[in-house]
Amino acid sequence: MLKIDNLHVSVDGKDILKGLSLEVKPGEVHAIMGPNGSGKSTLAYVLAGRDGYEVTEGSVSLGEEDLLELDPEERAAAGVFLAMQYPVEIPGVANMYFLRQALNAVRRARGEEEVSAADFMRRIKEAARVVGVRDDLLKRDLNAGFSGGEKKRNEILQMAMLEPRLAVLDETDSGLDIDALRTVAEGVNKLRSPDRAIVVITHYQRLLDYIVPDKVHVLAQGKIQRSGDRSLALELEEKGYDGVLGDKAAA
Amino acid sequence: MVAAKRIEPHPAFAELFGGVKGSLPGAGVMASTREGSFERFSALGFPTTRVEAWKYTNVARATNQPMALAPRVDVGLNDVSAHLAGGPQARRLIFVNGHLLPQLSHVKGLPAGVVVADLAQMIERDPARVAAALAPADDDVGFEALNAAFTRSGAWIEVPDGVAVEAPVQLLFLTVGQESAVMSHPRCVVRLGKGARLRLIETHAALRPGHCLTNEVMRIELDADAVLEHDRLMVLDDAMTHIGRLDTVLQDRARLDQTVAILGGGLVRNEIDARLEGSHIECLLNGVYMTAGREHVDTAIRIRHLAPDSHSDQAYKGIVDGSSRAAFAGKILVAQAAQRTNAFQSNNNLLLTDDAQIDSKPELEIYADDVKCSHGATCGDLDARQLFYLRSRGLPRDKAESILTYAFAAELFERFKDETLRKQAQRAALARLPGGAALKEML
Repeated sequence: MLKIDNLHVSVDGKDILKGLSLEVKPGEVHAIMGPNGSGKSTLAYVLAGRDGYEVTEGSVSLGEEDLLELDPEERAAAGVFLAMQYPVEIPGVANMYFLRQALNAVRRARGEEEVSAADFMRRIKEAARVVGVRDDLLKRDLNAGFSGGEKKRNEILQMAMLEPRLAVLDETDSGLDIDALRTVAEGVNKLRSPDRAIVVITHYQRLLDYIVPDKVHVLAQGKIQRSGDRSLALELEEKGYDGVLGDKAAA
Repeated sequence: MVAAKRIEPHPAFAELFGGVKGSLPGAGVMASTREGSFERFSALGFPTTRVEAWKYTNVARATNQPMALAPRVDVGLNDVSAHLAGGPQARRLIFVNGHLLPQLSHVKGLPAGVVVADLAQMIERDPARVAAALAPADDDVGFEALNAAFTRSGAWIEVPDGVAVEAPVQLLFLTVGQESAVMSHPRCVVRLGKGARLRLIETHAALRPGHCLTNEVMRIELDADAVLEHDRLMVLDDAMTHIGRLDTVLQDRARLDQTVAILGGGLVRNEIDARLEGSHIECLLNGVYMTAGREHVDTAIRIRHLAPDSHSDQAYKGIVDGSSRAAFAGKILVAQAAQRTNAFQSNNNLLLTDDAQIDSKPELEIYADDVKCSHGATCGDLDARQLFYLRSRGLPRDKAESILTYAFAAELFERFKDETLRKQAQRAALARLPGGAALKEML
């Protein structure tokens, strides 16, 4: 489903990703772990199409589509969703309004009918219940004044509503206490499905106790250095990046 | 050689005054007041940009030219209904091209002693009182004098001590463009007695495009403990010029809560001079301006804290698009006696194009030593992170931009007290944005 081949990316003239390759099949959950500065967030942003990330070599495709040719909104319509490490606060835009606009924009672009107000309300109540987003947060401005945990839950809520084919979770566990982590993970697990691929980017293996990955990759120095199954994450937990990667652990 | 600070009025003004003065409302004391005012106008003329208060606005270009007095035009309910605000209880004076439209105005049934009348009626009833209200302001430009010479209508509002007026009062000024350039000079006086309360709504709208100057002068006097909520919306045509001058004087514990939205007009001057003569006053001046095309909006606020313990807050936001230009000059003066003053000012601007221009000038003049004063001015474009966030959720770029643009100023619209006017202002704001009509659910 997601195929990344020999991806090279530079930011402000500095090479960050240096030949990253990765393939995620439908239904799989892959974890990407790596030390700080290894290029994890760069990978997330490149997949979502943020400005300022220059792809100098390589390709990224989702199904038949060449993602690198698409604008961010076209990627969303194609089924890419990035749960951001630092969700942006947008005062003046109500969370609920935003969600409905996003959902209908994506549905229009996919050739589906817009959802009615009543249908939308039904969907959002259900999704909010699952990921633990309180009603008052739906009525407030988008992420404005939300706690760290509330922002992360709100990301997963959006993901549930937009039903992506590829979900990328960038450090979704950072800033979460254990209860919030559990609810968020539960929300993500509910979204696991045979036609959806999920990439979980994380620094710590803790999240992987709750979202159990099919594969684990270690990213360092702009490349995947090692791949394995879940036990690789446990090995990292035990030995640290230095222990597993040796001199390749340095960012 | 010192560059000129004033431009002499075009001779057409004197010709016009000579021709119409006999037919303007009021004889006797009013007639001599008009003569005196016109002489003052002739001497003061129009300011050039060498006058500090007019630094950013070349006003003579739009105003110093032959203009007739705007003619009376009859309009029907269908023309005005979109501009009505204040709810079913509202009392209302409607002016078209500076003439009262009596058939659609409604001011009956107010509490005893409350006066809401057209200036022309007041001139008939009590010319000496009106003449006194037109007494020359301490002024170095001619607009106020020009208004005093030609004014024929406007609102005269008095609320006696202790009376709270439940029904909002709306002043609706409609401009109907003509074949050639015309002008009108509305004059408003609002006096609230001790502990009196009033909700005032002021709307300026264009019914037909055209070259029109509205030169409005308003004076608001709030006695001790009086409370005035003042919502003011302006949506004019880009050939129209609005020169607005508001002077307000506040006494002990008075509260003025004003919100202004300027959402269209070729050249708009929003000048406010507030004298805080008493203690424990609250003076809140909120505003938002959105300019596009080649429009020009100039806000000039002067707040004078003259006694201790009062609070003032200016909060203005601007969205400047196209090749338009906006200016904001906010001055806070704190006299030596005005200890423990709290005075704040913010002016935040969004510049949407490279050709748009904003000049923001805060000015503090403080003679007291125990005060809290602050000011902040910002100017920027849309936040790239916010834009990416919305787009990454599927919103097309132009829609995301319009949403963020409106959101930037959204909080100011929330400050309107009257719900109908707030919605009118919000819709007018959205109408200025690409695809904005589709965003009405944002409200």
